Amino acid sequence: MKLDPVLVEIFCHKFTAITEEMAITLQRTARTTYVKEAGDFGTSIATPAGRLFAYPANLGVSGFLDSDVGPALARVGPLEPGDVVITNHPYESEGLSSHMPDLHLIAPVFSDGRIVAHCWDFIHSSDIGGGVPSSISPRFAELFEEGFQIPPLKLVEAGEMNRDFLTLYRANCRMPEENLGDVQAMLAALRIGERRIHELVAVHGAETFLQAQSDVAEYAAAKALAVQKKIPDGSYEFWDYLDDDFNSEVPVRVRCKLTARDGEVHLDFTGSDPQVEAAYNIPTGGKRHPWLTLKLMHYVFSHDKTIPLNHGMFEHVTVEAPRGTVVNPEPPAAVGIRSATAIRLNEAIVGAMTRAEPRLMPAPSGGIMIPSVLVEQDDATGARKVMVLQSLVGGTGARFGADGVDGRDSSLANQRNTPIEKTEEEAEAMITDYALRPDSGGAGRWRGGAGVVFSVRIAKHGSAVLGRGMERFVFSPWGAAGGAPGAKARVVVNPGTNRERELGKLDVFHPEPGDVVTIMTPGGGGYGDPLERPAERVREDVRYGYVSEQEARCAYGVVFAGGVVDTAATAALRGRMRAARGSLRAFDFGPERDAWEAVFDDAAMSEMNALLMRLGPNVRARRRREMFQRIIPRLAEGAVVPLPERIGEIGPARRRVREELERLEADLALAGTGTALRPVPRPAGTEEGRPR
Amino acid sequence: MGRYRIGIDVGGTFTDFVLVDMAKTRWWFHKEPSVPEDPSAAVEHGMRALAGGFGAALADVELVVHGTTIGLNAIIQRRGARMALVVSRGNRDVLEIGRLRLPSSYDFTAPRERPLVPRDRVFEIDARLRADGAVAAEPGAAELEALAAALRAADVEAVAVMLLNAYRDGTLERAVADTLRAALPGVQVSESSTIWPEVREYERCLVAALNAYIQPLTTGYLDRLEARVRGEGVAAPIYVTANNGGTLSLDTARRRPIDTVLSGPASGVVASGRVGAAAGRGRLVTFDMGGTSTDVSLCQAGAPEFTASTQVGDFPLMMPVVDVSAIGAGGGSVLWVDPQGVLKVGPVSAGADPGPACYGRGGTAPAITDCYLALGILDAERFLGGRMVLDADAAEAALAGLAAELGFTGADRAKRTADAALRVASAKMAAEITKLLARAGGDPRRYSLLAYGGAGPTHANLLAREAGIRSVLIPAAPGTFCALGAVLADVRRDYVRTARHLLGAPEALGSAADGWADVAAALDALEREAEAWVSREGSLVGAHDFVVSFSLRYPSQAYELDVVVPPDRRAGLDGEAVAGLFHEEHARRYGFSDPGAPVQTTTIRLGVIGRVAPVELPPAEPARTAPSGQRDVWHDGGRRPFDVFARARVGAGSVVRGPAIIEQADTTTLLLPGWQAEADRLGTLHVTRRAAA
Repeated sequence: MKLDPVLVEIFCHKFTAITEEMAITLQRTARTTYVKEAGDFGTSIATPAGRLFAYPANLGVSGFLDSDVGPALARVGPLEPGDVVITNHPYESEGLSSHMPDLHLIAPVFSDGRIVAHCWDFIHSSDIGGGVPSSISPRFAELFEEGFQIPPLKLVEAGEMNRDFLTLYRANCRMPEENLGDVQAMLAALRIGERRIHELVAVHGAETFLQAQSDVAEYAAAKALAVQKKIPDGSYEFWDYLDDDFNSEVPVRVRCKLTARDGEVHLDFTGSDPQVEAAYNIPTGGKRHPWLTLKLMHYVFSHDKTIPLNHGMFEHVTVEAPRGTVVNPEPPAAVGIRSATAIRLNEAIVGAMTRAEPRLMPAPSGGIMIPSVLVEQDDATGARKVMVLQSLVGGTGARFGADGVDGRDSSLANQRNTPIEKTEEEAEAMITDYALRPDSGGAGRWRGGAGVVFSVRIAKHGSAVLGRGMERFVFSPWGAAGGAPGAKARVVVNPGTNRERELGKLDVFHPEPGDVVTIMTPGGGGYGDPLERPAERVREDVRYGYVSEQEARCAYGVVFAGGVVDTAATAALRGRMRAARGSLRAFDFGPERDAWEAVFDDAAMSEMNALLMRLGPNVRARRRREMFQRIIPRLAEGAVVPLPERIGEIGPARRRVREELERLEADLALAGTGTALRPVPRPAGTEEGRPR
Repeated sequence: MGRYRIGIDVGGTFTDFVLVDMAKTRWWFHKEPSVPEDPSAAVEHGMRALAGGFGAALADVELVVHGTTIGLNAIIQRRGARMALVVSRGNRDVLEIGRLRLPSSYDFTAPRERPLVPRDRVFEIDARLRADGAVAAEPGAAELEALAAALRAADVEAVAVMLLNAYRDGTLERAVADTLRAALPGVQVSESSTIWPEVREYERCLVAALNAYIQPLTTGYLDRLEARVRGEGVAAPIYVTANNGGTLSLDTARRRPIDTVLSGPASGVVASGRVGAAAGRGRLVTFDMGGTSTDVSLCQAGAPEFTASTQVGDFPLMMPVVDVSAIGAGGGSVLWVDPQGVLKVGPVSAGADPGPACYGRGGTAPAITDCYLALGILDAERFLGGRMVLDADAAEAALAGLAAELGFTGADRAKRTADAALRVASAKMAAEITKLLARAGGDPRRYSLLAYGGAGPTHANLLAREAGIRSVLIPAAPGTFCALGAVLADVRRDYVRTARHLLGAPEALGSAADGWADVAAALDALEREAEAWVSREGSLVGAHDFVVSFSLRYPSQAYELDVVVPPDRRAGLDGEAVAGLFHEEHARRYGFSDPGAPVQTTTIRLGVIGRVAPVELPPAEPARTAPSGQRDVWHDGGRRPFDVFARARVGAGSVVRGPAIIEQADTTTLLLPGWQAEADRLGTLHVTRRAAA
């Protein structure tokens, strides 16, 4: 740091105040619910090169600190005072905008003819055109389906609004006036930022202002490095799965190799699955990117809460995200629900860090975000009304020294829920349950947070229940350091009646009036040996109803007699359980993943992905899907059938893996000699699209 | 009518008193050490001191207004009643799940709040309404008997009842509550629809649950207080200050203790509004900096700003309160240096005990008060009028210890550390004030900083300079300002009804039904309820006024705007007029409106203000101003002589030029070089930057 450290600390506060004043201005004057209520927006100030040097502490979306506005500006060419650049383009902005509803604005701030900073903000706009209202659907495969593409261009040029652009914009989205109201709020926020920067420059001079930008970053970098040094030197590999790729039951794997050397961290995502033909791809530009480094940021911040939020936090982080994979797709792959993949990616990083040192991170949370939606139809007119039922998440994972949090999860969006009474104001249906889900938190010395049970009783004919982001129906939130995995998600209709039916993953479901649809979210993973959890804590969990007596006995070895712990029986049972189970596992993935990986081990998957990457992006996904379907013929039966049952015998399945790899290699060899790929027979009983 | 009024504010360290002689417009201020085990003991001691010291005949007192933190402390320290909660079936985890958000998106170690009621004392019954107010499930006598038995077995002192959609109609909830009252004598029962019938089950549940949680403690305390005050020969009515800046009778406070939990800061803002208005300054940033906390708020046109929801302890509180934000730990904020060699101030507080190093109570970490002392801003001998001698050596030593970590050396290293810390503290607080003003869309140059609390006047000039505020007001008695606010307040209570109806001109409504008749009926009913209440609040209450506001939106919107009906528009108000007010407000806020569209009411809000005969603020004596001495103050990197004035000698109309220190028993005012203070008729100091000579 070249400036006096006291001045650096003061600049940290002043810079943060500018971003927060921008955020307040944006939110106060914005029009749409996304911005005003959900707070889905961001504001910041960037260095002349484009890196964010301050960020609001608790306003708007927390995750975009590692953004880089530089590439978008570079696309536009020379800037002059009064310019404002707009973009929503995931590829042209090199990942600044990570899906198209996000509108980004950037305004250069000039002092004496040179750029001393940029002001930046973004909003999640309620619609940007495309195939569905609100522009997001997992079934989209290409950007062209996801709406109106805005490569970086000047929305305002030297103070003049680009009216032609507005005309084009209005013609290409469903609710342009509301969104343009938000754009006005964004412009107001940029102006506030610009004014405050000019005031700072007036007091301190441009040189000091620029020096302060690098000093606060250097300060953050030093703090982050100190925290990252807690990661023991070495390389640590881990991977996690999305249940499926939407078009089939084939899981999507995200793989991370974390290498730490004296606090320097390298994240290598090589071996992650090829990009998918669904909206699950994360557009990162293959560089350090907010969606790739988010979890490291959480790690650093959790261990040093005084770190100033700026790009310096990531100074000692490098990444490798191979092109053509889900973590760096090639255009025009769809990206709308990149967050679903990002959750798994975060958990892969958490796992790698846990391999390095189990006390650094919590076990994974329930790991889902389901905006469950109800559609009701007017009996007379048939008019349909679409309502958010509830934002459903699971519990958080346990960590060394602390149980997970029940029924809440801040790890990705930290949203608020919708009061039952607010939902019922809009809907005829009634919410009959919104409660913690007993026995869903992974058992452990520290227990994973419980998931929730949410039930709605349908009132009207022609109703539909929709749920995006349904994950963890197949693979469990894993347990760490001897802890057990959390319970998987479920959707059940009419539970506890003779009409009970397991629905598995719910995309769109059409219940009858009187039906009760119940969604159960996953619990967080447990941490540490459940047999080491003090019996007194287990007794409390039972008293409060987080854990049943049955679970207390089976998972924790705690025996109750007449509501009190039977100490002798507990000691005896725990002894027997300890002897029976052998040594503790560093990770407990649950039977599904164990069975899956007995067939598809890391070596085979890495080999398969490496081979597939040699195919063109257009055929890669289909070939991959077909290979899995031939290896596991019953895969398409879906989440209602337990995965080990669908996999069947391991030995033959492994042989089929070998065969498929050899066939693929042979095809590639032929292709390499100029021969076209020979057609591969399609497995019987599968069709295009999702078999459900 | 009696002659005196007494305002009392209980703080952690001191209990403050204001005695007003209505006959002579004379005021006395007094500070009495608090008695944490029984705050009413300090009240009794203070009453005696008032009688003895000022010769006030306590039999001549016409009104006692009391601010208490007993409920707030019970919530913060979790020392409330052993209680149970009764909810609709399926909603047992309303307090566990809350609104889903965790305190931090970045920090996975940030814990969630501990639920107010443990899960094994939450009971579900088959009772709930539909959103339209119809009963969907009603418990039978047997179920209620079983519930009462379960509550008896749970051995609780208080019970809260919250049924889904009971905000629409409290009948079912009251029936359940009344059954429990009858079955469980001695147990205090709060039902949500009586305390605060607003939509949103979690927040409404908390209002009822918090009320129940603090009710046994608060009623016990108020009983003791009343006995002690009566024991001193005071027959006058006793009122309790409220979150909305008003006051409540003892009886109302016993039934609705939740209305009093945030009253202390609210009273300070009420006093600010009065003093600011008298000084000709309506736009205020109030700045209350004490030993353990710093609170700020805004006043517009001399009136406090309200918010419909705030935080109390770990919990959101969905009730209208004076909008006060805590922005720091005050004089007790601890200084430290991080491993990168950067100086930090707070958030850890040394509190009142052990307090800053200079308190000499065993604290070794330097705090902000140590900085004032080391720099020469405070006089060790004259802190709190000499009632507490500060240990300057301890402050110096604590700061010098930190200096090494900052790389400061030499004889002045402690002072340089202190100076740096005040700069950091000012920058942090200025950042918070920037945000506060941004929320209101305000420009700091048009606001005055009104400073009170023990440290407010000490830091105000530093903060104003940093925040770009051009005017600072220092009231005559900043150390007992909340007690002053108590005496100045009117009786006030707020009411709410949720009512979803469409309003607008006939052409805007089209075929939709005009909801005005329903809205008007609900408003009339609220006014009658409020009138009935205020007429029973005591003979001191004169005429009353209503403040009517609506939460409104366009039907397609998911967010509401609160629109206050100007008093002169209340008579003859109709749906079209309400819609018109909304269109105007919407255009003002967002730059557009849609006058062709109908407007939907979501909430009707009513405040009733029972006027209490007003108190004149006392004029200051004119006095000739001369410094009582000089002392060296370390300022902006060097030592320089500051004139020292006694506040009592800064009479009406006199001007003090900075650099200067103005001392009084309850605080010390710092005046920077280039600034000046002019005392107005009431003795309020107007601190402004001197025009360049």
